Amino acid sequence: MKSLKNHFSVIFPLIVLLFSFQFTRGLEVIVAEYETRITNEYSIIVVASKTLEEADIARSVPSLKAMEEVSPSVILDRLKGDISTQNLSLLQLSLPKFYNLKLSSFPSAKALSKIKSDLERMDFISRVETFAKTYDTIYRILVIAKSMAYVFMGLIGVISLLLMLKQMRIWVLEHKERMDIMTLFGAPFWMKSAVLYRLAVVDSFLATCFVVALFYVMPSVPEIASAAAAIDVIIPAIEPLKEGGTLLGISLFFALVSVSMVMLKVKRETP
Amino acid sequence: MNHVIEASKISLGYRNDEPVITDGDMRINSQDFAFITGKSGSGKSTLLKSLYGEIALRQGELSVCGISMNAPAGAKLNTLRRYIGIVFQDYRLINEWTVEKNVMLPLLIGGFSKSVCVQQAQKLLKHVKLLHKADRHPLELSGGEQQRVAMARALAHNPVLLLADEPTGNLDEYSSDVIWSLLKSAREHLGTTIVVVTHRIPTTMGSNYKHFFLESGVLYEVS
Repeated sequence: MKSLKNHFSVIFPLIVLLFSFQFTRGLEVIVAEYETRITNEYSIIVVASKTLEEADIARSVPSLKAMEEVSPSVILDRLKGDISTQNLSLLQLSLPKFYNLKLSSFPSAKALSKIKSDLERMDFISRVETFAKTYDTIYRILVIAKSMAYVFMGLIGVISLLLMLKQMRIWVLEHKERMDIMTLFGAPFWMKSAVLYRLAVVDSFLATCFVVALFYVMPSVPEIASAAAAIDVIIPAIEPLKEGGTLLGISLFFALVSVSMVMLKVKRETP
Repeated sequence: MNHVIEASKISLGYRNDEPVITDGDMRINSQDFAFITGKSGSGKSTLLKSLYGEIALRQGELSVCGISMNAPAGAKLNTLRRYIGIVFQDYRLINEWTVEKNVMLPLLIGGFSKSVCVQQAQKLLKHVKLLHKADRHPLELSGGEQQRVAMARALAHNPVLLLADEPTGNLDEYSSDVIWSLLKSAREHLGTTIVVVTHRIPTTMGSNYKHFFLESGVLYEVS
């Protein structure tokens, strides 16, 4: 029971650390996917009094991916029954040109404002509609969430390391007598601390398995999947081998660094 | 003459306290059997601890197995400790390990294969008449049995020098006899130099030994 508690005192901070890391990675993927999606869906509408050339627009908007003219026929067709054909022809002639601009990446609010003012400065362009507010709000929320997750992950990392160091000190006290005896018989540093390193490796492995299993199952839990779908987000599934390997590396790094820090302190204090 | 231990005008003590030993000279040659005696608290154990580097020397010159103990550290100290065997007054066995593994400790540290370690441990446990308890743990043994295990461990790697602190202090006659015969045998058959801290020199030792006496912080050889 005591041994289980000792293991759990290392496994728990490792699980929290790995969870926060994987959560941040997941959030990064979600934000990146959302960014791609809104970039594909997003377009700027430009109203001009004459035909525009794509090259002219590209000079003011370097991120321009494509430009296409919006045909006014859909609106004019709706008016067919209300006004005469002659007036319709006159209206068609007097109508400005509408263009749909597609961008290669979703710009920030500041960049979008600059694109708008650059376009408005151009001759023949009478109006620019960026629909910035609609797209920008959700994107900003996700970016803020991502930044907060980074801060959160950093804090969790520090707290986990402190908790593990505390537990390692308890381990050292439990094994102190054995290590002292081994010291008196000339045991090298690695041999005295081998037990602690072995415990750290086992606990890292257990913590990694738990977190990988959690993130493997999580996207398929109906409640979580439907909640994510409701906000138009797909939770990325974990790749057990690739991402599991990264998580194992992180947990091993933290656990082994903790053991080494404590053992080096012991080494300095031992005659 | 080849000195295994050579001490000249040594001063020893704990931290900032007054020195326990203020002056001492000692020369112990290879294959000597030496006793260090003195009253309780005279510094016998302190002197022994300085021989394996658990207590630092304050003044003077001390060399053990050719290694200067004036400022031994790290790898140098580890190397020295692999040459010597130590029997502690309080046994200092690893309670989580079996008796056999305890005896194997110096061999494991020396990097011997497991089969060699097991073979040697069993041989020594047979010598100390504890082979039948090889799988037990130290806390399951009596004090005398634990001391015999400690003796087997100290001799497992055929040390150049064996240091023993009151090895028969709390033992019954049978265990004491086993310990003394093992020490004599180690000296005769393995050529081990033996240094024993004790209150009383056993009468069975005859006169073929060196005797150092500690009194009022001064160590001297009794001729």
